[in-house]
Amino acid sequence: MNRAAILWRVASVLVAAGFIAAWQLVTNLKLVSPVFLPGPDRAWAALVRGFSSGDLAGKLIGTLEHMTYGWFAASIAGIALGALIGSSKMMRAYVAPSLEFLRPLPVSAIIPVAIAMLGLTQGMALFVIAFGAIWPIMLATIHGFAAVEPRLYEVARSLQMSRTAIIGKIALPSALPDILAGMRLSLTVALILSVVCEILAGLDGLGHWVLLSARAFRSADLFAGVILLGATGYLTSIAMSLVEQRLLAWQTAAR
Amino acid sequence: MSVVARLIEARAARRQKPLIAFNAATLRLGGKTIIENLDLQVRPGEFLCIVGASGCGKTTALRLAAGLYRPTSGAVTFEGEEITEPRREVAIVFQDYGKALLPWRTAAGNISLALEASRVPARERGARIEALLRKVGLPGHADKYPTEMSGGMQQRLQIARCLAQEPTTLLMDEPFGALDAMTRQGLQDEVLSLTQASETTVIFVTHDLDEAIYLGDRVIGLLPHPGRIGIELDVDLPRPRDQLATREHPEFLRLRRQLFDFIKATEH
Repeated sequence: MNRAAILWRVASVLVAAGFIAAWQLVTNLKLVSPVFLPGPDRAWAALVRGFSSGDLAGKLIGTLEHMTYGWFAASIAGIALGALIGSSKMMRAYVAPSLEFLRPLPVSAIIPVAIAMLGLTQGMALFVIAFGAIWPIMLATIHGFAAVEPRLYEVARSLQMSRTAIIGKIALPSALPDILAGMRLSLTVALILSVVCEILAGLDGLGHWVLLSARAFRSADLFAGVILLGATGYLTSIAMSLVEQRLLAWQTAAR
Repeated sequence: MSVVARLIEARAARRQKPLIAFNAATLRLGGKTIIENLDLQVRPGEFLCIVGASGCGKTTALRLAAGLYRPTSGAVTFEGEEITEPRREVAIVFQDYGKALLPWRTAAGNISLALEASRVPARERGARIEALLRKVGLPGHADKYPTEMSGGMQQRLQIARCLAQEPTTLLMDEPFGALDAMTRQGLQDEVLSLTQASETTVIFVTHDLDEAIYLGDRVIGLLPHPGRIGIELDVDLPRPRDQLATREHPEFLRLRRQLFDFIKATEH
């Protein structure tokens, strides 16, 4: 890392510290009632208390489970369907209009449908999360497969590569940057929908914790939950970037 | 007849039988006739160059020989057998090396692609890759990605990948068109030494007339709209060719003149 990069990093930490200090100042001056807005000190204490009693860890694991299962299901289905649609011009022409109708459909609109059909169950949550998270992955995969350099297919033909080899060695690696970008977008979608499902269906997780804390006016616990959700989003996104950097090392090799 | 004489005769007979033959091959694409009634025989071991103004169908002729296109009428054959699909003993060197290489694979990985397709066992690949890289003048570059290499190096890499197929025939589509003059001359000599030693048959498409005469045993000039043969020249220049001596040879200059006049006449 060069000096400028270090300075930027320091500056960004200072800004974050400034926000926390401002938050503390607002609560210390009681500009907002402490019933609704706890200071960072109280939120932190609630966080520590929640973890030492084991309550919060359980909720965190619950949310992580919903998120990862839904995201994995969306990834597998999204990549498979996207590859199928993206690698054939005809399929793209047939399916694209239907996709254009389904894609902008707000996922929240299908939650009542999912509840009516599957009940207030984990299965419902999995379906809703996967349904919402599949779009960025599938659309990115379609684009990635459609954009494979045609010359590479000719190279594959002249080498008489098998169909599976062409998909595994040419199309998939070529589409991988798009697929990973789609998966990263879906990660956020999966987290949001996990919380929504937990709130609506009362499933064990941070969403439920936040809802109960708010109803009981335990604002410090509420903020502890919110902070934990933010951290979850942040850390999973960083983990995803690291995976991307590793898998796409060839993209940065020349620069 | 002695055994030796018979062997020589058998070899001569094999040489006379065309390896690749275009028999009245016509190709129409989108209502346009790209190539019409092309008759052309390529002898085994021959270095044939195809030149012509742009749009005369020289790349198309190469793609017919490669099996990437099929003629609308007529036939293109390889050892007497109609070409319907690309075959492993025929390797294609594309002009746009940047698009023909896998950017996510290193130099070694790109060569490995051809070895994997030919089902070479994994433990043999390393040594083969190393030998091929040395053959094309890229030793020590195994772990570089194509984007880290110059254009000349990338084209060498593509040639190495083609050689990994162990082809009897190389089809080269303006392979040095995008390279600077010095790199181009170096690669011309390398292609000559690589193919002459192994008696590889080459069809070489270029728009550089000097290059065609310098490399070829025979040069075909195509006429455009639709593509057909306009001139055919046998190049009787001594081998091995030399960048200075060959290009100063009176015969070279005579052929060059003839070819330039032909191309100039087609441009109207």
